[in-house]
Amino acid sequence: MISLAGRDILHGWAKFVFTGIGLGLLIGVTLSMAGVYRGMVDDAKALLDNSGADLWVVQKDTLGPYAESSSLRDDIYRDLLGMPGVARAANVTYLSMQVRQGNTDIRAMVVGVTTGQPGEPGEPGYLVAGRQMTHDHYEAVADVKTGFALGEVIRIRRHDYTVVGLTRRMVSSGGDPMVFVSLKDGQEAQFLKDNEAILNDRARTAANPALNRPGVPGLLDAIQASQASNHNVNAVLVRVAAGHDPEMVAREIRRWQHLQAYTRTQMEEILVSKLILTSAKQIGMFLVILAIVSAAIVAFIIYTMTLGKIREIAVLKLIGTRDRTIAGMILQQALGLGLIGFSVGKIAATLWVPIFPKYVLLTPEDTLRGFVAVMLICALASTLAIHAALKVDPADAIGG
Amino acid sequence: MNPLTKKILLAGLGVSLLAALGFAIARSGPLAPIKVTVAKVERGEVVPALFGIGTIEAQRAYLIGPTVAGRVLRVLVDVGAPVKAGQLLAEMDPVDLDQRVASLDASLAKARSAVAVAEAQKQDAASKRELAAINARRYVDLGTQKFVSQSVVDSRLQEEKSAQAGIDAAEAALAGARQDLGRLEQDRNGVREQRANVRLLAPADGVVTAREAEPGSTVVAGQAVLRLVDPASLWARVRFDQGRSNGLDVGLPAQIVRRSNPQAPLSGKVARIELVSDAVTEERIAQVAFDVTSNAPPKALSIGELVEVTLNLPAAANSPILPNASLRRLGSQNGGQNGEQTGVWVVEGEQLRFAAIKSGVSGLDGRVQVLDGVQAGATVVVYSERNLTADSRFKVVPSLAGKRP
Amino acid sequence: MPPSRWTRPTQSGDEMTVANLTDDGIHIEGLRKRYGAGDTAVDALKDVNMRVAPGEVIGLVGPSGSGKSTLLKCLGAVIEPTAGRMTLGGEVIYDGAWKARDLRALRRDRIGFVFQAPYLIPFLDVTDNVALLPMLSGRPNAEARQRALELLGALDVAHRARAQPSQLSGGEQQRVSIARALANQPPVILADEPTAPLDSDRALAVMRILNQMANQYRTAIIVVTHDEKIIPTFKRIYHIRDGRTYEEAGEGRPID
Repeated sequence: MISLAGRDILHGWAKFVFTGIGLGLLIGVTLSMAGVYRGMVDDAKALLDNSGADLWVVQKDTLGPYAESSSLRDDIYRDLLGMPGVARAANVTYLSMQVRQGNTDIRAMVVGVTTGQPGEPGEPGYLVAGRQMTHDHYEAVADVKTGFALGEVIRIRRHDYTVVGLTRRMVSSGGDPMVFVSLKDGQEAQFLKDNEAILNDRARTAANPALNRPGVPGLLDAIQASQASNHNVNAVLVRVAAGHDPEMVAREIRRWQHLQAYTRTQMEEILVSKLILTSAKQIGMFLVILAIVSAAIVAFIIYTMTLGKIREIAVLKLIGTRDRTIAGMILQQALGLGLIGFSVGKIAATLWVPIFPKYVLLTPEDTLRGFVAVMLICALASTLAIHAALKVDPADAIGG
Repeated sequence: MNPLTKKILLAGLGVSLLAALGFAIARSGPLAPIKVTVAKVERGEVVPALFGIGTIEAQRAYLIGPTVAGRVLRVLVDVGAPVKAGQLLAEMDPVDLDQRVASLDASLAKARSAVAVAEAQKQDAASKRELAAINARRYVDLGTQKFVSQSVVDSRLQEEKSAQAGIDAAEAALAGARQDLGRLEQDRNGVREQRANVRLLAPADGVVTAREAEPGSTVVAGQAVLRLVDPASLWARVRFDQGRSNGLDVGLPAQIVRRSNPQAPLSGKVARIELVSDAVTEERIAQVAFDVTSNAPPKALSIGELVEVTLNLPAAANSPILPNASLRRLGSQNGGQNGEQTGVWVVEGEQLRFAAIKSGVSGLDGRVQVLDGVQAGATVVVYSERNLTADSRFKVVPSLAGKRP
Repeated sequence: MPPSRWTRPTQSGDEMTVANLTDDGIHIEGLRKRYGAGDTAVDALKDVNMRVAPGEVIGLVGPSGSGKSTLLKCLGAVIEPTAGRMTLGGEVIYDGAWKARDLRALRRDRIGFVFQAPYLIPFLDVTDNVALLPMLSGRPNAEARQRALELLGALDVAHRARAQPSQLSGGEQQRVSIARALANQPPVILADEPTAPLDSDRALAVMRILNQMANQYRTAIIVVTHDEKIIPTFKRIYHIRDGRTYEEAGEGRPID
């Protein structure tokens, strides 16, 4: 027995292939959407992985430092270092802001990290070019997604920084690339304002008679100096010593009245379920709609192809072809279309995914699921055409 | 088209589609091998250096102001004016000091008159005693010759005594008047000193940097009317991170880059290291003086200007060096057994092996001296696309930068 | 099941023995077909009686609305008659109710159809169009194609064996469709106005082929027609009028 579906496809292969390509692009969009969601989750995971921390210590009653703003004194890390089970503790600041380079500026997350020892929590764990920071000030390590090159000078707030190293996949949970600077520079960027604001603050302080007492020379200067310095950080990243359970250490830390500590699993939960939740639902809706649209399109295509063969189907039925042979032909065509569509879609998605501004992750599991879903949808969509084909009366082949 | 040709063509298309699909799945995305770049460990020298940020300050700065509250009468110099030691810079309102001096002068004159009076009185008392003494002797003589009664002799003796007492009194009065004179003189000197105090003089050569009170304004004791700075004593107060200040010593040569003129670095030397570090910011503080050599002394330095200072330490001995980008940390997360270790990934054939290293000094250019852990000639991973573990599949490429993620 | 016919075709003459008529070929008795029920019922076929011997080619003639198509559809097991009896190739297929279990298989194995237009499957080549039915019946592909080539040769279109139907002329396509009808060696062929779109030369050519094939393969052929060009060629004709058939001897004019 020959394959009727195969012969039909071979006969009108151009139409079939082009239809498959069109369907494939739609499937590619669907796969990319799923990849966008996976990319968001991976961004969150990458953020947590790359910080090199086992615990995140933040201000009490906040979900910080990524989901909520949190502010701590910068000498708390010393107390944490003294606790049992804590191998390393490092201050870190995070600030999403515009970083200027030449005439353009891009949105980045400026991370102030403790430099000095390799492998401090917060520092990038691997580079793709350049070196780690060795100076205490005015050096930066940037993610390649910023588009900065080695040696370029970028401007953050009031200072110029030289890019000395490049990393990859260091992004915030929102997908903004990270720019690492020293902790003090990070503190300054976060809390010091521009010149106008500083002058304004000085004038206000000077106008306050309680602070500007003539009988106490030097008081105003001291106050203004204290306003201009910053001793806060957003979080302390803690690495737990070998053999200690992070949750136990976190519990110890939480006993301090004014601190909250999250383990890796808790941070993931916060990021994925709180921060990404709305976007996940949005993408889920999109996927459902795309699946329905894909099903409708496949159904429509197969139905049209079948309708174009109504006469042949009547003749086939009349001369003795079984219903199931005809149904099988239609089903095979639908599945063949699905196969071509899926292949084209997967290849197209792989090709255009790097162009997306945010990270898109196409996992093998998603590819498999997508394949199964496409095949199922094609099979279901073909039922409409099969129904139409089976309804054809063979007697119609015999003219009135 | 020949059906056979068509079949072959379409089969070819199908095969290439499948191949592309397989390629897409295997070579990109999570299944692809991690790209890394490697380098050989070489021997060389590491020039450690210290880097700090500082501000330009004046070693000698003066605050010119009154020692008592008062009103400013006049200010004679303005910001930027060079002044010499002893020059009159400003004057406070003396208020009643001049009158007090005049009043004390008058009191002095009066006291001198009192002294003269006391002296005259002493003369008078002295002459009285002379007379009384002579009388007393005569009457004693007469008394012994019984020419006069004893009571008369006694009264004459008593006159002598009282004349003596009168001299004593007159002497005491004179002494008193002289002391009074002395006191008033001292009083007057004191007021004169105070009068001199309202004249604010420059304690040394310098340049005026601030004029903080105008004539007519009231200032309290200790408040500055003018601030003065010795421009030859400008130096940079530099802060070095405590964790990276090993080797900080007086006398180290320094390269100073000013924010106002980064293209023209200046040279200097560490002049002083402060004993008290900043515990809050965890920095050590050192003063770096500018070299005033045959080159003209640095012009246009301004106090408060930011500078970046690099101190070069003596080079470390020839030893294996690594770029600091190759240093990785292996914790329990990526499979390390012995807790936290710092080291490098050594490429051995198709496998990666983590070698813990002990590092020595590191230079500002990112080269790190290796004391233990790898030998020269070993191949280590420098840059990688992702974190590596002992069983990562990897692929060596010439360079990673310039590729999109 | 009738004995297998996968042997060399017999070379009998044009004469038929009436003794064969009852057991082979087509035998219809008292066939009736009623559409609708009650007051609106209409009898498309009232009382149809027909006999066609193996190897015989008869004409079925009648005006439109006479029930020609209905009779063909009943014979072709496409619609169910209301009453009567139909025997095909010695087997009773209808006797008040369908006796044959699988009508599709019946049509496939026992009845060949030739239509007004060739109705070839456009996405199969000529050989596969003909070989399709044997393949559907379960024959191995090679055997089915061999059989197809034989038939194409007999119909003088073997040189077009690998062509696509769209590349053939109308006459060639018609011959291929006849070959398709014969492919499973059915005892019966039903031809529905096979010559309607053709000119007299081509029409006579088709009739020639049909007669040839009927003779060669001992197939009973009913040709539904109102084409004046070919009616004289039939030896026997059944007229159908108002649902009833009337037998008549035909002219029997020889072709070419």
